[in-house]
Amino acid sequence: MDEQFNFQKKYRNILLTVMAAGLVVTLVSILISSYGASRIWANVLLNNQYFMGIALGAAFFVAVHRVALSGWHTIIQRLPDAMTAYLPVAFILMLLIYFGIDHIYSWAHFEGHNEILEGKRAWLNVPFFFIRMIFYFSGWIALTWLMRNSSKALMTSADIKYHNQRRLFACLFLVFYAITVSTSSWDWIMSLDPLWYSTVFGWYVFISMFVTSLAFIVLLIWLLKRMGYLKEVREDHVHDMGILLFAFSIFWTYLWFAQYELIWYGHLPEETTYYITRLNDFKLFFYLNLGINFIVPFFGLIRLRSKRQLGWVAIIALIMLAGHWLDYWLMIMPAAAGENAGIGILEVFMTLVYASVFIFIVLRSLSVGPLVVKNDPFIKESLTYES
Amino acid sequence: MSKRSYISIYFDDEIPMLKAVRKLRDNKEIILDVLSPFPVHGLDKALSIKRSKIPVGGFIFGALGATLAFVFQAWVFTVSYPLIIGGKPFFSAPTFIPITFECTVLFGGLAMAAAFLIRSKLKPDIKFDAIDERITDDHFVIFIDSEDEKTSVEKIKSVLSGIQTIKIKDHANG
Repeated sequence: MDEQFNFQKKYRNILLTVMAAGLVVTLVSILISSYGASRIWANVLLNNQYFMGIALGAAFFVAVHRVALSGWHTIIQRLPDAMTAYLPVAFILMLLIYFGIDHIYSWAHFEGHNEILEGKRAWLNVPFFFIRMIFYFSGWIALTWLMRNSSKALMTSADIKYHNQRRLFACLFLVFYAITVSTSSWDWIMSLDPLWYSTVFGWYVFISMFVTSLAFIVLLIWLLKRMGYLKEVREDHVHDMGILLFAFSIFWTYLWFAQYELIWYGHLPEETTYYITRLNDFKLFFYLNLGINFIVPFFGLIRLRSKRQLGWVAIIALIMLAGHWLDYWLMIMPAAAGENAGIGILEVFMTLVYASVFIFIVLRSLSVGPLVVKNDPFIKESLTYES
Repeated sequence: MSKRSYISIYFDDEIPMLKAVRKLRDNKEIILDVLSPFPVHGLDKALSIKRSKIPVGGFIFGALGATLAFVFQAWVFTVSYPLIIGGKPFFSAPTFIPITFECTVLFGGLAMAAAFLIRSKLKPDIKFDAIDERITDDHFVIFIDSEDEKTSVEKIKSVLSGIQTIKIKDHANG
């Protein structure tokens, strides 16, 4: 139970090699092909949003469980905790958008007169865009850092104070996140089509974040168990992760359909543009998105036994990580890159670079203390948990 | 259980009851039944009860509900009474989805409830004798087969020493 994750040099080197190789391939492909600036910057935005979403979903996961005084997650809580350590890096990478804002956000350089855009000018202007970005990230980074810090204090001290403290930070995070997850998704994704709007969009992005981070936690459990750690994590805990993955995939579909059906039914020109662009040019991806993110988890995880087998849940989780990447791609790319949009070497290798950076930070953050927080008041409930 | 010899063991908490179940099974006693006022986690596993087939029934009836609802709407809007609504084609699958979804839930839910009632032989006018009224309130009972001579109250008491029981009753030949 006192096992400490050892981030061996071997693993570090593998990740750094992937990172470097991916970076080289990405840069070379940018130099030799004519992707166009908009597609390159849209890729940066896409990966920023995707991996930041995984980190934020993980913060939401621990915050919700702490506020609800849940017991079962106690032995895996350091995994999502470690994932939130990526947020400062996500902040720096998101600030890079400053250099490419003209290429992807049409409202940032719009010169002519458009009445609707003029009306949105108070919200959609470059300085306020970055002020909001700094505001969101400072709140997220501060609150997740405080939560991680209280967990760290619990590793050495058995004072209940730290547990209560952590719960308070979790409450604050949930309130802050509930508002900022909506507004940040308007800023960074919905404003790519500045004339289009959807009232359910914030929830839709939020649920994508949560599902991707659930899938990533499952993969992390699988990886750590393969390395010989987390022996206390049993089928019962995997079962709960499987239930969450199954349930929230269905909820994602619910929101996907809620957005689609109302726009389809209402048939208002300013709303239907979003789906017309995506259905005309990317019909295959459009239906593939629904197939991967709904059909695969629904039939793959519906049986009780399949939810309890870590290997199987990990395979589904991996497919869903790819599926939700495609989902973000469909949200961002057709609007930001227009005719240049596509999936090629650039997309694959840039995602690989981001993924290796993300995994590197998560594993490094995991190695700072024992994998199981022994002084957590709920540890016994989690160890003897039966589902 | 009328003509049978059995022993009943009473508990006032689920944890000692679960411990007792495991211990009795280790000692190869035959557990006839366990009664509890609420579902106890881990009890099915401790008794090695096979998993219920109700979810399978739920899935089949849910699929049936989905198919019926979808086909019915498709038939109504294309064959029986085609109407032009908002300029949409007669066969507009997205409009059928909400009702299909609701019918899936309704069929699945009702079928599972009905399957449970039928399987447990429960019906509105059923009469049964409660062995002890407190079983439906705050007491837990384990019934053990004592048909063969080896099982006796003394033996059970020694097996369960250290586990808190309220009373152990012998019901020889009913």
